[in-house]
Amino acid sequence: MEHNRSPYPDAVTFQGPRMLGICSLTSSHRNTSLLVLVTSMTYLVAGFTAKKLLRSVVSQGLVKLNWGMLCLLMNTSAADLPTKYDLFFRIQLAINVQIPVEYGGLGGKAVYIDTEGSFMVERVYQIAEGCIRDILEHFPHSHEKSSSGQKQLQPEHFLADIYYFRICSYTEQIAVINYLEKFLGEHKDVRIVVIDNVTFHFRQDFEDLALRTRVLSGLSLKLMKIAKTYNLAVVLLNQVTTKFTEGSFQLTLALGDSWSHSCTNRLILYWNGNERYAHLDKSPSLPVASAPYAVTGKGIRDAVSSHHKRARVT
Amino acid sequence: MAAAGGGGGGGGRATTSGCGLKRRYAPHDQEEETMNQDQSSKEDWCGRLWNGMDLLKDVTENKHVLPTGLEGIDTLLGGGLRQGQLTEVTGPSSSGKTQVCLHSASHAAVKHMGVVMYLDTSNSFSPSRIATIIDGTNDLSDQRGFDLPHKERLKTMMRSIVCKSVFDIFGMFEVLHQLEVSLLNDKVKSGGRKICLLIVDSISSLLAPIIGGKYPQGTTLKPPSPPHRLYPGISRGRSMMISVAMILKKLAYKHNLSVLVTNHMVSAGNGAVKPALGESWKAVPHVRLVISREHGSNICTATVLKHTLLASGRTAKFVVPS
Repeated sequence: MEHNRSPYPDAVTFQGPRMLGICSLTSSHRNTSLLVLVTSMTYLVAGFTAKKLLRSVVSQGLVKLNWGMLCLLMNTSAADLPTKYDLFFRIQLAINVQIPVEYGGLGGKAVYIDTEGSFMVERVYQIAEGCIRDILEHFPHSHEKSSSGQKQLQPEHFLADIYYFRICSYTEQIAVINYLEKFLGEHKDVRIVVIDNVTFHFRQDFEDLALRTRVLSGLSLKLMKIAKTYNLAVVLLNQVTTKFTEGSFQLTLALGDSWSHSCTNRLILYWNGNERYAHLDKSPSLPVASAPYAVTGKGIRDAVSSHHKRARVT
Repeated sequence: MAAAGGGGGGGGRATTSGCGLKRRYAPHDQEEETMNQDQSSKEDWCGRLWNGMDLLKDVTENKHVLPTGLEGIDTLLGGGLRQGQLTEVTGPSSSGKTQVCLHSASHAAVKHMGVVMYLDTSNSFSPSRIATIIDGTNDLSDQRGFDLPHKERLKTMMRSIVCKSVFDIFGMFEVLHQLEVSLLNDKVKSGGRKICLLIVDSISSLLAPIIGGKYPQGTTLKPPSPPHRLYPGISRGRSMMISVAMILKKLAYKHNLSVLVTNHMVSAGNGAVKPALGESWKAVPHVRLVISREHGSNICTATVLKHTLLASGRTAKFVVPS
């Protein structure tokens, strides 16, 4: 099988304008073809915790993001494309996966499973517009060649390719994940499944803790299987809680060690002073590293200049 | 052989050749046999009589040690993973368990010790990482570094690692049963070499959905065959765990494999952690290691929880090379 001599495999990066910041965190060199990634078949389940800093209930800034999406979201051979990471990471992912192939994206669709009701369509529209603008800025000549490709670059098309499920209880969550296999069999071009707050319904009012562990580990195995069979990335979100160990409170992943064991990769989002950082905590093939990022009107971008950043809300 | 195959076909999956109940009552006619283990594993009897000197001879000649490639761990294990034994590596999340598995697999491939079978439950088998590790070890030994033969050598080495994804316990029984059948038929895998190492990354993820709870029935998983109790009186989850354990140990013993499994930690009350899978699992592996990693560094610490030959409680540090 192919391999390149770089120390780390080229992992996923989202396609976008310049590849710095988080992109450099997750990929070392450019020019890995999608072929290598697809044949290596490491579809990983990720857990996410995206903390919305707009909400006042945000915990103290340590956002834990479990994510693992190596592969599939390919990296192009063109150098220097900035990453696009939004505070609403998951929304950004859902948009990015739809970037058409001729611009280096995957041209796929996204499935978004929402447990909390936090999917804001207006913001999604804004991010889609920002993404399109950046694509056109970066590939100024391409749209002359393929006019049909350019027609696709409308925010409406991006929105149309997101399949949205809203679930209100844990039984519905189990049902959706069971149904997902059949759904994905019919819609073969889905490339990413984002589950917003997979643990939300399991945290409150669940009396039988052993049952909770069993159900969640069963869910994570099913998601792993889906990721492997249908060749897509599964991104989960999770939250942080505090844990009392050795006389002090520590922030830790909700639902404990058994849940954190189930994910393949983990990415933690946190505040460091006034900057937002993403920290890759667990990965089978990449080293532990951190990278700063910023939330802008267009979505998530690299943290290049300070005046774009919003001040930390505590 | 036929009886074993037939016995495995009927009944639920849990009663397949795993525990070999049918074989235990086979008549034992041939008790004086040669020491040839391959020949003995083909016949279906209850095992031959060994005396102490035969055992010692077998251990010194046949039971080799497969080094993992990580120095600290190899020192703790007395050389590496011993053939015929089940080794467990446990630890909190992101402590390096998968890295230990990947390193063992690469090391076995590099030293041409045989075929490695990697059963992966969390999609964390990364061929690129294996290639990186193999490259790392090769650079030290081979100074010439031709480009083309290097690629060929890499391909050969990587071909000796077979990876299968399993996502539920019944899939696992299936894979192990197929492995057993193909080994009994003397069908060597991928290029004429015998399997020497079986790695199960995270057997605890497979068992977590069915273990636990007060009631004997499982919850979300429905087995394909009608449920029945392998061991009456134990919950089904635990009986599956014990079945898997017996199959793995039997494979290790009969076919001279090293088996490496991974486990995770659960909370033990008062903020402490303990290995998952409970008390009944504690007796299963021959060797148990606990590893942990300091936050933000590559240095991990391994402690021996249980070892059949060496003292337990010893610690060593090892570095996972980037």
